[in-house]
Amino acid sequence: MLVKLEKTFPIDAPADVAWSLLQDIQSVAACMPGAQITERVDDRHYQGQVGVRMGPASVTFKGTIEVQSVDATQRQLRLVGKGADTAGTSSASMDLTASIRSTADGKAELTGLSEVTVNGKLVSFGGRLMGQVSDQILTQFGENFAQRVLAQGQGATAQQAAASVAAQPREINALAFLWRVVVGFFKSLFGGKKPRSAG
Amino acid sequence: MATTAEAVEREQKLQGVGCSRRRKEDARFIQGKGTYVDDIKLPGMLFGSIVRSPYAHARIKSINKAKALAVPGVVAVLTADDLKPVNLHWMPTLGGDVQAVLADKKVCFQMQEVAMVLATDRYAAADGVAQVEVEYDELPAIVDPHKSMAPGAPVIREDIADKKEVGHGPRTHPNHIFTWEAGDKAGTDAVFANAPVTVREEILNPRVHPCPMETCGCVASFDKVAGQLTVYLTSQAPHLVRTVVAMLSGIPESKIRLVGGDIGGGFGNKVPVYPGYVVAIVASIVTGVPIKWIESRIENLSTTGFARDYHGIGELAADKDGRIQALRFTALADHGAFNSHVSATKFPAGLFSICTGSYAIPKAYCRVDAVYTNKAPGGVAYRCSLRVTEAVYLIERMIDILAQKLNIDKAEIRRRNFVKAEQFPYTTALGWTLDSGNYRAALDKVLKAVNYEALRKEQAEKRARGELMGIGISTFTEIVGAGPNKACDILGISLFDSCDIRVNPTGSAIARLGTMSQGQGHATTYAQIIATELGLSSDEIQIEEGDTDKAPYGAGTWGSRSTPVGGAAAAVAARKVKAKAQKIAAHLLEVAEGDLEWDVDRFKVKGNPSQAKTMKEIAMAAHTSNIPDGMEKGLDGSEYYDPPNMTYPFGAYLCVVDIDRFTGETKVRRFYALDDCGTRINPMIIEGQIHGGLTEAYAVAMGQQLVFDSGGNILSNSLMDYFVPTAVETPKWETDYTVTPSPHHPIGAKGVAESPHVGGIPCFSNAVVDAFAHLGVTHMDMPHSAFNVWKTIHKLGLDKHA
Amino acid sequence: MAKKPISFMLNGRKVETLVEPRELLIHVIREQLNQTGSHIGCETSHCGACTVDLNGRSVKSCTVLAVQAEGGTVLTVEGLPKNGTLHPLQEAFTQEHGLQCGYCTPGMLVRAYRFLQENPNPTEEQIRFGMSGNLCRCTGYMNIVKAVQSAAKKMQAAGGK
Repeated sequence: MLVKLEKTFPIDAPADVAWSLLQDIQSVAACMPGAQITERVDDRHYQGQVGVRMGPASVTFKGTIEVQSVDATQRQLRLVGKGADTAGTSSASMDLTASIRSTADGKAELTGLSEVTVNGKLVSFGGRLMGQVSDQILTQFGENFAQRVLAQGQGATAQQAAASVAAQPREINALAFLWRVVVGFFKSLFGGKKPRSAG
Repeated sequence: MATTAEAVEREQKLQGVGCSRRRKEDARFIQGKGTYVDDIKLPGMLFGSIVRSPYAHARIKSINKAKALAVPGVVAVLTADDLKPVNLHWMPTLGGDVQAVLADKKVCFQMQEVAMVLATDRYAAADGVAQVEVEYDELPAIVDPHKSMAPGAPVIREDIADKKEVGHGPRTHPNHIFTWEAGDKAGTDAVFANAPVTVREEILNPRVHPCPMETCGCVASFDKVAGQLTVYLTSQAPHLVRTVVAMLSGIPESKIRLVGGDIGGGFGNKVPVYPGYVVAIVASIVTGVPIKWIESRIENLSTTGFARDYHGIGELAADKDGRIQALRFTALADHGAFNSHVSATKFPAGLFSICTGSYAIPKAYCRVDAVYTNKAPGGVAYRCSLRVTEAVYLIERMIDILAQKLNIDKAEIRRRNFVKAEQFPYTTALGWTLDSGNYRAALDKVLKAVNYEALRKEQAEKRARGELMGIGISTFTEIVGAGPNKACDILGISLFDSCDIRVNPTGSAIARLGTMSQGQGHATTYAQIIATELGLSSDEIQIEEGDTDKAPYGAGTWGSRSTPVGGAAAAVAARKVKAKAQKIAAHLLEVAEGDLEWDVDRFKVKGNPSQAKTMKEIAMAAHTSNIPDGMEKGLDGSEYYDPPNMTYPFGAYLCVVDIDRFTGETKVRRFYALDDCGTRINPMIIEGQIHGGLTEAYAVAMGQQLVFDSGGNILSNSLMDYFVPTAVETPKWETDYTVTPSPHHPIGAKGVAESPHVGGIPCFSNAVVDAFAHLGVTHMDMPHSAFNVWKTIHKLGLDKHA
Repeated sequence: MAKKPISFMLNGRKVETLVEPRELLIHVIREQLNQTGSHIGCETSHCGACTVDLNGRSVKSCTVLAVQAEGGTVLTVEGLPKNGTLHPLQEAFTQEHGLQCGYCTPGMLVRAYRFLQENPNPTEEQIRFGMSGNLCRCTGYMNIVKAVQSAAKKMQAAGGK
């Protein structure tokens, strides 16, 4: 099953600051909910894992990340991740292109364009949720990244941001994301606040 | 035929052929005392659960059993390596192919069997399955059969890569299974080249699943001391399976006992030999204890015999009056990863060549190309009479398409093309000799009953108001009763069937047959046939099927073959009994045989009717010294019946639908079904079969589909997504009948249970398309779910408010 | 998992057994208590073949933990006859040919039993809706509906038992 997503997130910092954080793969990986780098093979290749929990069932995906290209002039990064759960019942691969752009007000925005292919049990049983949950995951990623950039600065805002970064959960809680999808749906029905991401 | 009132009374007491008597088997079912496979408990029995592939196409890198073996209650974990020493990791299929029992080195469809965990109870087994660790290397999957034979397509079946044929002729590509054709291609092409009118349409029969209420399963029990294997299993053909098991296991067939007990619906899903059965049998032989394997519903929908997946192109050539001159049908058949369904050797595409239907079509040609894909194996199943559903769907859709092109009424165009009553027996352009029929009378009766003209008038009025109303007609001819020796065999075994009758001294009887009921009512209907033949009450005739130790060899129950072949065997066996009885009666009455005549339940002396002997009296005499010199004692009869032809039941169905032009929701306002199955043994049971078959047709036409994504992941494999109609949406059925006996069947009967499914599906489809015919729509693919119908509505702009 | 003792009334008799907390009621009824009349047709609670009567309500016993029956009253198809006489529903199902393979039948009977207790004089539409939790592949439902109607009439005439 293939899911294609594109999202843009405003970053409350100049483009250079955001771009320098984007090149810190360890930190970028940490922005993906529930993900962590377990080994740095070289500066282009990493091993990582993502924990996913759906109610009482939990699954750990183990895999590899390869940084395919880094373009400093365009401030664009492309990475490819491939993983499978340790019991061998599902696999996923992701092709992510992330870029930083300057905005008119001297701040920046992060655009994430991703193609995720999932096969196995996760698709058979979770297929119909795949799109919305992936959307939520990418939204979370963007919010986390924005917080991390903020945390690098000074002052109270930065301290608050740093605290929230530290408090991020170690795994994807699928039901929590599902709840957010449901809440988001009802909010949109009743003309609620538009989500922070565009597109 | 009884003539006097007294004789009629005696005949009614027999409750024989024609009587809507209550079923004899009901008593245990209404009290929950049936014996289905999962009800069986044997001492020391272990429970087997299967580890399945999550990927549609992948290499197996490693299987780690250690964690699973450490789960409390888990006794063993079997993989292909454990089956290799007995050469059972692969098995031959009923279709002439081989199938992986447990995957070795690679998997070819999602949910394919990879290992079996044996444990002391089903919970421990499930725990064990979750702990088996398998490492896979994913491969690209082929899901669209049109891509199977593309140059450079991934090779699915590496195990047969260098095989030039897989049981049915030369292969042109590693993913090609066979190409089968029938008819006169050159002659047909010539007619098409010169025809005044031609129509062409791409017609899909989506992949669906029979989904009987009981899933497949078995209890295999090998007795090491006696060397005897007993398998209780959900099989529609216990004898055929026993022969296959003997060939696979090397155990003498005389030491193998297969027991088909009560089966909770088959519909073709329970004909193939599934890997679960084979592993359970091997496990029992290896462990020496009984092994139970029962699949879950998700496993059932994902891996056992699916149906259809036929991508057809229909073409008709006709004159401007709608008289069909030639038919040209081709189909791409998606068989999944293995060719595993039942296939008569000469007919790998089943009875698809019945696609000329009820019409006298002078020239015809059909071709089926079968290919492998990375999906579950199967294709022939689901009340299809072996691909007849696909064939009849094509012709009944195409004749409607032709009618629309020429602006001829859809009932009228059928009348113009019907095989006429006086033309029977009629041999079609594709080689089948239709035994008897009266299509015109059937259609006329239906049209009159529903007041067809009034319906068309109403439709015109509704159309003027922008409402969507459709009328669907289906006039189908079925082909059932496999089958004649010269035409069909499975793995070389002829498709005869058998009946063994023994009459007891006190005048009751027991008859054993080689067919296998899964709800069709054989315990009642066979008793009725024999009751009428022998003049004994059907209450006193016990019918047994399914235990291969007791029942004579037969090919089982599928393709509506029980009445045509088993019923014929019963009648002929009974007539052998009756012939012997006549000799005994003559001896008892001291007359010549020719001086006797049969009267319902007794032989009377002609001209001296008070001199009579009932069958009961004869039965007792047969066990005494009161029989002719030199005659054997006892009153038995046995027949292995080889049918001279298939039988051809037919019908005329009409369906009226009203479609909501904003939601696409279709309401079936009326469904009128007239069936002709020749002699009607038990009208109540026939009607029940029609109701059931129509409901399954409704399901297929209106909502069922096994959906896959492009990675080969199956998305609709539980009842959350797979549509099984409830009592709420199932329409009310109106049934009717005509009787045109089969000239070659001993009691003139034909099969019937698959007719409503075969004829029902195109009827619903024709109705839905007819609702849009005035807007130029010629065809809409099934399933006609509200969403799918809405897509057509939306494209036509019908859902815009004025 | 450590087993817990549970006890409840099954078809008028007290039964006691040991179950794991995660064990489903359908498995305990069928395998430990040897009442195999109730059947398993799916694992997503759609088909209704496992329908039993628990504390006066129809439940799908494949989605009930055995421990939930503790101290309660369970009725299965085996408990429908009274003193050796079949329940009017059982008679009606065979009279009206409301069964073919028999697999869905126990669930249908137990559901129909509770349905008629709740609605002794139902319309056809109410019957179809009330029984919509029980799937059947063989009969097409028409004769099942007729059977329920016939039983309802008989039971009303006999004073609604």
